[in-house]
Amino acid sequence: MVTVSLSSRIKRLGKTLGEVLYGATVYDWALQLKKERGKFESLFVLVVFGEFLGIPVLPPYYTLRLLPYVVPSISTWKRSMLREPDITEIFDEDMG
Amino acid sequence: MNSVIVLIITAIVIWLGYGYYAKSIDKKVIKPDPKKATPAKMYMDGVDFIPSGRNILFGYQFKSIAALGPIVGPIVAVQWGWLPALAWILIGVAFIGWVQDYTAIMMGVRHDGMTMGGLSYKLISPRSRNILLLFIYLYLWLIMGAFGKIVGYDLMTKPTVPFGILVVIVMGLLMGYFTYKLKQDIVLTTIIAVVVSLFGIWLGAQPFIANIFNAINGSPDTIIFGQVTWAKFLWSIVVMLICYLGAVLPIWEWAQPINYVSFWIVSLGMLAGVLGMLVWHPGMGDFPAFTQFTVPGLGPLWPILFVTIACGAISGWHSLVSTSGTARQLENEVDALPVGGGAMFMEASLAVISFLTATAAFGSYKGYHAVFAKSHAAVFAVGLAKFMQHVGVPYTFGVAYGAVFLTIMALTIMYLVVRFMRVASAELVGDAVPVMKNPHIGSIVALLLSLLIVWTGAWQSVWVLFGGANQLMASLALLLITVWLLEEGKKAAWAFWPFVFMYVTTIVALLYTGVYVLQKVQASPVGSIISAVIAFLLVIAALFLGFDAIGAVNRARKGAEAG
Repeated sequence: MVTVSLSSRIKRLGKTLGEVLYGATVYDWALQLKKERGKFESLFVLVVFGEFLGIPVLPPYYTLRLLPYVVPSISTWKRSMLREPDITEIFDEDMG
Repeated sequence: MNSVIVLIITAIVIWLGYGYYAKSIDKKVIKPDPKKATPAKMYMDGVDFIPSGRNILFGYQFKSIAALGPIVGPIVAVQWGWLPALAWILIGVAFIGWVQDYTAIMMGVRHDGMTMGGLSYKLISPRSRNILLLFIYLYLWLIMGAFGKIVGYDLMTKPTVPFGILVVIVMGLLMGYFTYKLKQDIVLTTIIAVVVSLFGIWLGAQPFIANIFNAINGSPDTIIFGQVTWAKFLWSIVVMLICYLGAVLPIWEWAQPINYVSFWIVSLGMLAGVLGMLVWHPGMGDFPAFTQFTVPGLGPLWPILFVTIACGAISGWHSLVSTSGTARQLENEVDALPVGGGAMFMEASLAVISFLTATAAFGSYKGYHAVFAKSHAAVFAVGLAKFMQHVGVPYTFGVAYGAVFLTIMALTIMYLVVRFMRVASAELVGDAVPVMKNPHIGSIVALLLSLLIVWTGAWQSVWVLFGGANQLMASLALLLITVWLLEEGKKAAWAFWPFVFMYVTTIVALLYTGVYVLQKVQASPVGSIISAVIAFLLVIAALFLGFDAIGAVNRARKGAEAG
């Protein structure tokens, strides 16, 4: 049988409470900032690599120079650009 | 009955509802798979799909669903007596509330993070998505009417409230500036912002400040038009201006830092209130278990009670939060029950505490009614102050604190509502009327519509309509869940019967309210006609939904039999 010491139980409880508090306070804040950053990144990649979606926008010279920096986010960018968003996606705030 | 016994009964219901019923449905019917990749993991983009731990998501979900609804609903509903209100909160959450919140998350997770609009389109009919949008828009409009009246009429007109609100807003803005621009430590700025806000609330309750606002409010006999006094006119305009700023400014500049400071004001108030209640453990005195079947101004117990208390028992808005927010951040399928179900049971506890501020804090029906007749919101402020008194918070400060608590809670929702209304109107009519795509025009239209309902509508009818729009969204969510379960060949009765109950109850409630407000048309023609039109519009939309539902359920049954 595994015994758990009181101090580790208290630590675990503190960690859980801290996470719940973070979720109820700053998490939403961080989430919105991430969304905002994501929008700008999406726009940036669109300006630079619009050709991937059939939109010629930038001379290939710059595209090639920027390519190594953008490669990691191309798959998620393409998915988010091509996904058809629904208006109900915005309702993730408290309204009750 | 003693307040502690009420809390014990609540704890037992949660233990049975969550520990046995919800867990058995989770284990035997939904069968979450811990090895299955959730949309948050599959499509992780750091924007819409972000995997997060269960504790963080529990905090997020609870914060997102628990607002003014679970506080105001029980305060109004105890007019039928304490027993029906308490019974509906506990039975509602145990058999319907968690079913919707939890299964909506699982439905979103199992449909690649699809939100309610997409799910309605796919599972029921293309028309049902438009019906959902209509429910949402009317719901948002009615929130503005119901909350706008509470804040602009009941709370801000109290001379001890506006200064505290002003300080909380300014501290929120400064907090945002210090955190974002000056990169200051969030813990330090939080402590300073909260302490100064508390001081501001105390200062606002002092006679030398309150007298200034008393002078601004002028004589209560000064009528501007209809039944709108100067104070009500002034403060409802101020409230709308605050909402306008919240709707058009970037969310991190206005809404989020103010909401953040407000969270601490609200949490500290709730903590002090609950501690005070436990120390005091008052009884309900002569507060009747049951008063009468039909309450004047509200209506009969069935169906009106079931839309008067929405959040706390079941609320359709939660299904939107569950699918568009939580389902896209769930790291593991097994977290859905503690996050969705757990947060819903927690919200029911909040509703029970609010219920106790209306019943046990006053100790008599006469005491409750004397305050309720003057101002609905004051019931909570006075009740909370009475509880807080028992942990050493002075009564006068407690009443001001309770009023600021409610005001700030309503305001933080209202400016998000205006933001949503302008986005929804741009989506709905933006192509036909391009000017509606302009954020300022969209917000101003939303605010003018809100003022129309604040200045002309009867509050109790507006509240019932707000609950009705909310419960119709809940019906739609339960219907979606039923169809999904049938398609999957799973047992669906545990979602289907709650759908039938909510659907029938809400339609009858809306019809009753529509007819009731029309009878009052001579006293308030504009408000009555607007309320009646909303009520009948919701009923017609619900009937279309019911028609589509029959087709969807039959389709799902045939599909399950064939497959």
